[in-house]
Amino acid sequence: MTESILIQGGHVVDPANSLDQPADVLLEGGKVAAVGKVKADADRVINARGLLVLPGLVDLRTHVGEPGRDSEETIAHAAEVAVHGGFTTIACMPDTDPALDNVAAALYVKRQSERAGYAEVVPVCALTRGRAGRELSEIGQLVEAGAVAFSDEQRAENSPAAILRGMQYASMFDRAVIEYAQDPELAGGAMNAGKECSLAGLPGISPVAEELAISRACMFAREAGAHYHAALLTTRNGMRAVKRARKLKVRVTAEVAAHHLCFADEVVRRRYDTNFKVFPPLRTHDDIKWLKRGLAEGFIDCIVSGHRAVPPQEKELEFGNATFGAVGLETALAAAWEQLVIGNVLSRADFVAKLTINPARILRLQGRKGALAPGHDADVCLFDPNAKINVTPASLHSRTKNSPFMGATLTGRVVATVARGRVFEF
Amino acid sequence: MPETGHWKRKDLLGLEELSADEVLHVLDTARGFSEISTRSIKKAPALRGKVVLNLFFEPSTRTKASFSLAAQRLSADLVDIAKEASSTVKGESLVDTGRNLQAMGVDIVVIRHQQAGAPQLLARSLEASVINAGDGTHEHPTQGLLDIFTMREKLGDLRGKKIALVGDITHSRVARSNIWGLRKLGAEVGLVGPRTLVPGSFADLGVNIHYNLDEVIDHYDVFNILRIQLERQQKGLFPSVREYHYLYGIDSTRLRRMKPGVLIMHPGPINRGVEISQEVADGENSVILRQVSNGLAVRMAVMVLVQSAKEAHA
Repeated sequence: MTESILIQGGHVVDPANSLDQPADVLLEGGKVAAVGKVKADADRVINARGLLVLPGLVDLRTHVGEPGRDSEETIAHAAEVAVHGGFTTIACMPDTDPALDNVAAALYVKRQSERAGYAEVVPVCALTRGRAGRELSEIGQLVEAGAVAFSDEQRAENSPAAILRGMQYASMFDRAVIEYAQDPELAGGAMNAGKECSLAGLPGISPVAEELAISRACMFAREAGAHYHAALLTTRNGMRAVKRARKLKVRVTAEVAAHHLCFADEVVRRRYDTNFKVFPPLRTHDDIKWLKRGLAEGFIDCIVSGHRAVPPQEKELEFGNATFGAVGLETALAAAWEQLVIGNVLSRADFVAKLTINPARILRLQGRKGALAPGHDADVCLFDPNAKINVTPASLHSRTKNSPFMGATLTGRVVATVARGRVFEF
Repeated sequence: MPETGHWKRKDLLGLEELSADEVLHVLDTARGFSEISTRSIKKAPALRGKVVLNLFFEPSTRTKASFSLAAQRLSADLVDIAKEASSTVKGESLVDTGRNLQAMGVDIVVIRHQQAGAPQLLARSLEASVINAGDGTHEHPTQGLLDIFTMREKLGDLRGKKIALVGDITHSRVARSNIWGLRKLGAEVGLVGPRTLVPGSFADLGVNIHYNLDEVIDHYDVFNILRIQLERQQKGLFPSVREYHYLYGIDSTRLRRMKPGVLIMHPGPINRGVEISQEVADGENSVILRQVSNGLAVRMAVMVLVQSAKEAHA
């Protein structure tokens, strides 16, 4: 990876450096060497004419199957699938089996990521041991082992004291605490509570579950002076809770998954298609409108894949019995691009920021990830915004095919990805 | 075999997807079958040589007996399979069970399942016809059809007729099938029950919602009373059976304040003394047993229609 690579003739969109213009990008020794009009020779030249040249995308939320469900998806496989979607860094969530709550587990993620050599996989580690919401994990040592943030994901219990203490403790090491935005007791259903759910005859997940969890976590963050990152916003009132807290100077950031911007709960009832069974659930068209508004106003900082591989034997079931989850690494960019850029919600630069520099900052990876400045990792995504992709079982590289976009045509295709100097052309 | 008309469906999964014409077509077909029960030889040859499978994942007495009798009266061979209700993923999946049974040459699968959408899943995976005999709290289309059949038998055309459904609407598949079917036929529908058991969003379907039974007691032509399940009380959805009976129980005092000639219906099984009192259930306004008889004719009609549609398509 000591070779030099010149990406020539493309249009660079790098919001961290306020670039939105034609420019070449020179990569050397696995790092960005220069951006602009580059005259240098290179071992390899990639013609990027007609393409957008973006910093390699950073996914703040990938649920990797390893450890625990390695037969569906290993760390290496997720990292490979990621580069097909333009992601060069993915944060893996700690809701594995066993949980990522110890130094050995964090180092294992790092080792598997290095051995695979695709996207870099960085661990979000459990805030408490076993994600049980009682004893704190060894957060200080986990930070040294590479933990980029801390989260218990969806807990079985509410555990307010553990969250408050966890935020206080994690803030000593300048790490965000990612809190799942659904109250566990109110969130025990199969789809969004409301008319569609009542008609479908399925148990509902109340939108209040989200507003409650977010509002509460914002109070903890205020008390602790900590950085709270709200996981997977899906509702209008969840978004407004973030907005209220932000106005009160609480240090809160938020994310939305691409599929939550594309589908409303009515698709569930149409066919009881379990590819639409995700957690938190698909909400209403009105919620989507408000999420887009939150993105445009900047209260929602990033777009995530929310990727979770689920094997067919857990999806070809009655809706209520099927496992929650959708793969998303390969569709997130195009799906969100369609909704937000083609849909005139965000400028190109603001859109790219939500998939690059913003998540990089939340994960404390800025300076190395999320931008195309000299010295940064040689991570680049070459995107053809006009090409169409048909989502079919054959077109997805993910071993499991549980995509809500199955059968759909999306606008925008990743043509090539460079991950720490390694080139993947598709 | 009777004329299938414009019935083109290989499955009956719910009343939501049917047009008013399709609903009426089933009811008209059922009328033809209702006289078979009065004959001394109660058999018709319509499904001779066909195999009907009852696949019940939930306990059921009357619905299962009704489908079994309907199949037998149509001269079909009948296989009964009862599976223990299972909420977790254990052993064979529903789709695999269905495919295995289809490989044995089943023509019609009658399924009852505790999960909403299970019949849809099965119908997508099988060439055999699938008839929904109740899926979770989603739909129970043959019950809806037999309720409507019974109402029409007594009231004629249902346009403008006022039908109340009383009780736990949230957890009732019978209520959903009634709402869809009745609205398609132009009836005025009211839902009556405690706010914790009546989805307010159903107002969007053009139905009335009432939390106070006594305020609307003389407004409706039919009261279709749903079974109240004790487990709902344990989940905190209403305070006690006593309070439920006090607010929503149909007894002779309330019956006297209803319209003369009002129809009292109940899909069964009845909790006597809870949602309905003994004397009302057995009284002269009650058509509860008539519903059961009509169920047979409606289920015969549905079986014949789905099988014929499939054969016409092939």
